[in-house]
Amino acid sequence: MPSRRRTLLKVIILGDSGVGKTSLMNQYVNKKFSNQYKATIGADFLTKEVQFEDRLFTLQIWDTAGQERFQSLGVAFYRGADCCVLVYDVNSMKSFENLNNWREEFLIQASPSDPENFPFVVLGNKVDIDGGNSRVVSEKKARAWCASKGNIPYFETSAKEGTNVEEAFQCIAKNALKSGEEEEIYLPDTLDVGTSSQPRTGGCEC
Amino acid sequence: MHEIDLHDLSDDADYAASMHQGSTSMTTSGGSKPSSSSEQVGVEIVYLKDNVAIHPTQHAWERIRGRLKLIKQGSSLLMTWIPYKGQSSSARLSEKDKCLYTLRAVPFSDIRSIRRHTPTLGWQYAIIVLSSGLAFPPLYFYNGGLKEFLATIKQHAFLVRSAEDANIFLVNDFQDPLQRTLSSLELPGAVSVANSPLSSVAPSESSPSWTDGGAPDMSSTYVQQNGSQRQKHNDPRHFSIQVLEKFSLVTRFARETKSQLLREAHGDGFISNARRKHDKKPNNYSFVVESSDVHEPLEDVPVPADSLEKRSNEKHSHNEEAALRDETFEYDKLSLVWGKPRQPPLGSKEWSTFLDSEGRIIDSQALRKRIFYGGVEKGLRKEVWRFLLGYHSYDSTYAERKYIASIKKSEYETLKNQWKSISKEQAKRFTKFRERKGLIEKDVVRTDRSIPFYEGDDNSNVKCLRDILLTYSFYNFDLGYCQGMSDFLSPILYVMENEPESFWCFVVLMERLGPNFNRDQNGVHSQLFALSKLVELLDNPLHDYFKQKDCLNYFFCFRWVLIQFKREFDLEKTMRLWEVLWTHYLSEHLHLYVCVAILRRYRSKIIGEEMDFDTLLKFINELSGHIDLDATLREAEALFICAGENGEACIPPGTPPSFPFEGTSMCYQQDDDDVL
Repeated sequence: MPSRRRTLLKVIILGDSGVGKTSLMNQYVNKKFSNQYKATIGADFLTKEVQFEDRLFTLQIWDTAGQERFQSLGVAFYRGADCCVLVYDVNSMKSFENLNNWREEFLIQASPSDPENFPFVVLGNKVDIDGGNSRVVSEKKARAWCASKGNIPYFETSAKEGTNVEEAFQCIAKNALKSGEEEEIYLPDTLDVGTSSQPRTGGCEC
Repeated sequence: MHEIDLHDLSDDADYAASMHQGSTSMTTSGGSKPSSSSEQVGVEIVYLKDNVAIHPTQHAWERIRGRLKLIKQGSSLLMTWIPYKGQSSSARLSEKDKCLYTLRAVPFSDIRSIRRHTPTLGWQYAIIVLSSGLAFPPLYFYNGGLKEFLATIKQHAFLVRSAEDANIFLVNDFQDPLQRTLSSLELPGAVSVANSPLSSVAPSESSPSWTDGGAPDMSSTYVQQNGSQRQKHNDPRHFSIQVLEKFSLVTRFARETKSQLLREAHGDGFISNARRKHDKKPNNYSFVVESSDVHEPLEDVPVPADSLEKRSNEKHSHNEEAALRDETFEYDKLSLVWGKPRQPPLGSKEWSTFLDSEGRIIDSQALRKRIFYGGVEKGLRKEVWRFLLGYHSYDSTYAERKYIASIKKSEYETLKNQWKSISKEQAKRFTKFRERKGLIEKDVVRTDRSIPFYEGDDNSNVKCLRDILLTYSFYNFDLGYCQGMSDFLSPILYVMENEPESFWCFVVLMERLGPNFNRDQNGVHSQLFALSKLVELLDNPLHDYFKQKDCLNYFFCFRWVLIQFKREFDLEKTMRLWEVLWTHYLSEHLHLYVCVAILRRYRSKIIGEEMDFDTLLKFINELSGHIDLDATLREAEALFICAGENGEACIPPGTPPSFPFEGTSMCYQQDDDDVL
């Protein structure tokens, strides 16, 4: 298990139906956007190699169904996650309000060993729509919520145009890596990454 | 639910017919010469039939023919089947093969049931199931005589027809029905062929080994084998091969299992599955007990001729290898599997023959069977699906259907108006409506948009999908809308091209599949549970593998089950599959056998690459678009036949798409905080 941790980083994307989870994943991994994604049934994942300080990691990004009714599957899909990405649509207040439910549900189902410090990253997606005119959740409001939940890193993204997607996933990967490290601090060869001394929740506006 | 029908057989036309001739032909049927064993004191041959064959492989031409007899000895009835000497249809069927399959005086006190198969094409055959749950390989009655066989048994032993299946005849079935059900749920044990202790002596017609009438206690025999001690004449490998033989009769991919198991059985210690009655934990069971104390070369084993898998660890003579190569070639040409070849789809001309002058379906069973094997032609779907889905009843007339259509049309309009009439001001104060509508709108615009029917901006068919789903969420407010419903509706609207009719067809479909979308997901979970039981029955090593990898939740099959393979095939193939499933011809749960068929097809890859849950899910998701539908359907059919009553016992009553139980049916667990 520890050796898996060091090379495979598991990331779960959660959020309401239609906020753009599949699109974000595909934009990051395949640099592609399509208007014709189907609603995700069950779960799927894509992988991408990422490099940090001369070390290669496989980022395994899990895309899940957004309807609450499918949450009972979470137990199987969330286990072993190193980071959880919470996505909402800046044009939908409901999707923002549900972030808290998604976060709590994740913590219950994944039951990470240290829930207080488990890394989340929040993405406010679809900032491109209507030039931002249909936006109903302000950046300020979103950042305030993130701050209240232990300084969750926050990004505003457009999966369609690729805005901020790379940056967001860099941060996601870094947080996932740090999350992994804490569990295997006893392994000497993980210490040379040199970032483990930073407070992990310190907001990664990287 | 497992009551035994105590009717005698006289209600059965086949049986009645046989009774007329039975009494005269009984003792001399087949016109064969009496065998020498009949001269034994107190032993009377009451039934004798020549040319009863076993097909040790899936190839019809590879058969072992022999003589089937019922012998009355005192008060007990015994059955024997002895292969003819030196008449193998194939050089590769050795004397050992024959020995392997020989049935020497099996007492009827050891037999639980006989399943009769009388296909319209091909030979009649019977499968004898022992009270231990083990089954002999099918006995094919080349010269007929299956009816007489059953009639004769009826005369001399206690035989009743199963209430669950008119083709199953229960022998000595005095057990508590519940107990019987439980024991039939002990799945692994149900697969095999049991036999009398197998000696290495060549079979001989005149020396039935159990003529003392005492039934050997198979359980103790096999339990001993389970330990390290081996008995000379009870080679457990024989047993394992027999288990596999039944599979091998079935399908191509079954051979993977078999050769795999042969590899494993190579390590010896084939576990007994004969008696699991007192151990209600089938999971503890495995085909193979790890044991390193005996390693015998497989050459000793009558290797079935069809093992195509690479078996690097096995030694074959050059001849055998050549034979195997030939076989590969022959197989690809002839592809003789149990599942019947698919037929061309039902066309209008043939369809009209199913209707009487007023438009009633004369024989709905025949129609469903026809569609099961071939599906329906494109242009005819609109008409036929209404019956398959249950929107129209088979015995309705043209006039009745026309009338119902008009009623249902206005009923639909009424329902639709319920949400159409919600004003903006009202909607503002109706969060659940807005949310539900929003969810539906998000999904219809991403449902099958690549199909021309749903292509383009402002597509009216997409709007139609939305209207139907929203109306449905008012018609069934408790269930509401759930992702996946649009996947079910889209092909229906595509075929019906009519909003009210599509709505009502969707309604009847949801009567069966609604539980898939329950808030607690219990509909899907019960199907996944049944699937795990079926895999345990039909591919125990694969089951063990999943267990070892902590994959028994079968969530990797979630999408398959939730929307019945909608995402795994293109639209045309999805519609073909659905109409086949909707016939409910063999089983209401054929889709679960389809799951097993696909899993088994890729079993060696799954196990060989040591896929864990994640990899498996990915692999399964990526099979989308790469599954051969016709082959899979044939394999599913074969698996269904192979599993028989044990397969159906894996599927709890009420599992979708069976209609839910009364009382629980429409309880969608209303939760005020979550009514999306």
